[in-house]
Amino acid sequence: MKRRTFLSTTAAAAVGSQVLGGVPLRAFSPVDLEPMLQEDNDRTLIVIQLFGGNDGLNTIIPADDDEYYRLRPSIAVPKANAVQVLSRVYMHPAFDPAGVYNMRRMFEDGRLAIVQGIGYDNPSLSHFRSTDIFLSGFNSSDPNKRLVDGWLGRFFSDRIQGFPETLPAHPTAVQIGGALSMLFQSPKGDTGIALTDPQKFFELGQGLSPDLDPMPEDTAYGKEFNFVRLVAEQSDRYSTVVKQAYDAGRNTVTYPKNGFVQQMQLVARLISGGLKSKVFLVSMGGFDTHVQQQNADLSGLHPYLLETLSTGVGLFMQDALAQGFADKVVGMTVSEFGRRPSENGSRGTDHGASSVQFVWGNQVRSGVYGNNPNLVNLNTNKDVIYQWDYRRVYTDILETWFGGTEADTTKVFEEKILPLGVIKAQATGVDDYRMSQSLSIKAFPNPTSSTLNVEWYQPTAARVMIELFSTDGRRVETLWNGRVLSGKQSIGVSPSSSGTYLCAVTVNGVRSVVPVSVVR
Amino acid sequence: MNRRDLFSNLVRMSSRDLSPVETMPVVLAGLTERTLPLTLEDVLHLYRRVGFSATMAQAKSLVGKTAVEVVDALLGSDTEPDHPSPGAWVDVATENPAGADLQTRNAIEASWYTYHALLSNWWLGHMKADTKAVEKLSLFWMSHWVSEFSFDAETVTLPQALYRQYKVLRKGRLGDMKQMALDVTVDNAMVWYLGGHFNESGKPNENYGRELLELFTTGIGWYTEGDVKEASRVLTGWKASRYSDEPSPNGIYNTWFAAAKHDTGAKQFMGQPIPARTADNNTEYQVKNEEVFELIKIIFEERPIELSRFIAEKFYRYFVYSSKGDVDVAFVAELATVFAASGFQLRALARALFTSERFFDQAMRGVQIKTPFEFVVGVQRQLGLDAADPMSWMAKMDQNVMDPPNVAGWPGYRSWISTNTYPVRRQLTDLMIRQMTDAQAVTFIKQFDDHTDVRKFVRGVIAYLLPVSVSQAREDFYVSALMQSAPEYEWVNIIESASAAGQRLRTLITTISKAPDFQLC
Repeated sequence: MKRRTFLSTTAAAAVGSQVLGGVPLRAFSPVDLEPMLQEDNDRTLIVIQLFGGNDGLNTIIPADDDEYYRLRPSIAVPKANAVQVLSRVYMHPAFDPAGVYNMRRMFEDGRLAIVQGIGYDNPSLSHFRSTDIFLSGFNSSDPNKRLVDGWLGRFFSDRIQGFPETLPAHPTAVQIGGALSMLFQSPKGDTGIALTDPQKFFELGQGLSPDLDPMPEDTAYGKEFNFVRLVAEQSDRYSTVVKQAYDAGRNTVTYPKNGFVQQMQLVARLISGGLKSKVFLVSMGGFDTHVQQQNADLSGLHPYLLETLSTGVGLFMQDALAQGFADKVVGMTVSEFGRRPSENGSRGTDHGASSVQFVWGNQVRSGVYGNNPNLVNLNTNKDVIYQWDYRRVYTDILETWFGGTEADTTKVFEEKILPLGVIKAQATGVDDYRMSQSLSIKAFPNPTSSTLNVEWYQPTAARVMIELFSTDGRRVETLWNGRVLSGKQSIGVSPSSSGTYLCAVTVNGVRSVVPVSVVR
Repeated sequence: MNRRDLFSNLVRMSSRDLSPVETMPVVLAGLTERTLPLTLEDVLHLYRRVGFSATMAQAKSLVGKTAVEVVDALLGSDTEPDHPSPGAWVDVATENPAGADLQTRNAIEASWYTYHALLSNWWLGHMKADTKAVEKLSLFWMSHWVSEFSFDAETVTLPQALYRQYKVLRKGRLGDMKQMALDVTVDNAMVWYLGGHFNESGKPNENYGRELLELFTTGIGWYTEGDVKEASRVLTGWKASRYSDEPSPNGIYNTWFAAAKHDTGAKQFMGQPIPARTADNNTEYQVKNEEVFELIKIIFEERPIELSRFIAEKFYRYFVYSSKGDVDVAFVAELATVFAASGFQLRALARALFTSERFFDQAMRGVQIKTPFEFVVGVQRQLGLDAADPMSWMAKMDQNVMDPPNVAGWPGYRSWISTNTYPVRRQLTDLMIRQMTDAQAVTFIKQFDDHTDVRKFVRGVIAYLLPVSVSQAREDFYVSALMQSAPEYEWVNIIESASAAGQRLRTLITTISKAPDFQLC
């Protein structure tokens, strides 16, 4: 029985500093363990890429905000039509099509996290640059920084033993359709495959193994030669594996004939048939709604897309529940930006900044993260200011879901990011159980004007690090690093500048978080 | 990707940051003209990149000439004759599907796809027949000034419009880039595709204004959001012509100018003023040639370095090496200097690049992954055979003709080869080779000088089909694929028998086509 180091995620315990505007967030206490012992980590992630920039404001409707109606006289969704799912939280009615299990019902069943205000500092309004930022996991405001590989590609390429000289038995990542996304590329090569039709993939894939050895990589020609050779080898090897999973797999619900929904159907079937890929990437286009985004009767381009998304995810969830793999799958949406709060002259919206993100599944800590967007204090482009750095959710995926360490994720993002806490802890071992129990951390005075005293009771000697993170999740500074003996601890730390922060106390790898304010 | 120094033969001149033009080195070493006469390998390399592969006869006729001679001929003139029209359909008006009954609507929409397929295969046919670089450069520009055929659930850019855009770009492919920018900006396909049609005074649509800067001229980062807004104001008032029930004062499928929708106020773009207009000077001709052209001129005058580098880099990646992480910034900067110094004449840029030592350098051979265009057209040219319905093959390889995935065009480079598309390339090649008759095989063999010497013949075929010479072991392997256990001296006898020669040649080509570098050029 494999034991794994327990890692707790502490949630965005920044509830205190974030409850503004009256949105009743779930109370996130430092996580309790559920020591589930697992033989094998067969957890899967489904990434749903929404191409074009999804209009978050017309997805989760700020129906109590007059400013919303002032800014969108033609395309705002009237409060009477919006579907209320929580006090002050409303969905577009297209999210709740009748007769199917859908994302609205998933929210009610505790299977959906709504992340308001996902974004990053200094947002780009370019589809391509912003998509690259979301896929690479690097937020660089330097337009000359080349973004060439993906956060998942980098993460998995380091975890696959001997990659790329040896390939794992199953493709690590599977993209349905198209050419391989940057998301799965890594400095060592592509960690995934792209496939549209398993049967055709199999037929064409047989006998493609190259007869030649790799070339030395000291020339550009050698590098490109080896790349093509690797793809040929993957085509040959994986075409059999995928076909086997496809033939063995099945669907227990009926999926309508729609591009995106059929992609979800295929993923369900492959998982049910035993394909052990870690990540599946599916996509929907059409979200770049500059023109005629919605008709007066609330039908139209954007609502149709929302309905499709909700149906596809809902049916997949239903299928997964029926077949028993629902606990092993987490899904998330990603889109390059939201849209401008004010509508444009063509009954549409132009490129915006921060938006809403959905993370779904049985292993998700359901609820709403963040506040409704502030439509009065917009940025200089009159776009919504973000609340959470998008990599907070990625860090949740890599650490909590896939079992990566802080060192792993710091390497992937080249900086430290605090996980948001959207995923339930996946305890797999009883080592350090005692150590990993939640520590009741007190930090006072709070707010402080200079020094902070961080106090807790420490059962055994341990290594401790105290760090300060900004409220959007990025690390600001390390305040203290050292060893402590057992007993009551009281450590004085001095944050460098004023601000509202999350103070993270990490004890032997287990982190607890407390919101603090510094007012000089 | 790996940032190790790949170009062991080449000198890295500077760091990767953009340096102001005043500190550029005076001696343009990387851009030195290639003066040695061209070898057969040089000619084949040139045509793989600037065309769609040469036939042996074509290549042989150019051996021994200088790069300048060959490239000047390749580039063609500014008055290359238009091809005969793809069909009467390009001049027939399209019925508006809105408001028609379901059956009619479906028929109209189906016709768009039919015409798109016809247009695609028509163009692919011309690429196959082109003995110069005319179609390759037209393709480069169609891939730069993108208008997608099918870009959202409800609408397309009509093939009739795409055809006209292609003609504009083909004609201006090596001319003054400012003129090209002006012509494309008010062209029907672009005005429809990027929302110019909806951009009106008081109801701005920033789509084209942004992409003009971000994707078509300077690249991201050299303009403000304010510039995008002001550019969009300048570009108000243009209307596309699509359907027979819409106004087409300039004839069907030609844009026209709605003066009342034009924002005539004064504008400020990149720090330069664009004066207001009155009713007296708000005509189509004046707005196009004064105001819109002024906008374009300001971009070129205010951002000459950024623009010239952006375009030079595009050329570099398209024709030399498309890896984003391996662009030789110093070389591109030199090329950009030549481009800017010429007053943004595209012929000067193309000529400087294609006749340069760098272009012919051995380190730059075999580094480009063949795009589906290059693969599908090239394999037909090289084997002397036709593929039926080439546009469908290309679609399966993830490249729809005149239909990139989005306005940035095709991401290119390694995105062309995936587990989805690589098998399709192999499938097409196998199918075509099986099509080759014995008589065609003998013709193929005889186009190589010294084809009676089996070693020289195989080396010739390798040089023809692969971009870089191979190891002795690989050559031996290919010879044995050809001879199939017969002794090498029997080759002379084998070619006397068409069926024996045919069977063996097809096996040889099949074996070579399985090599990873058959996908490289």
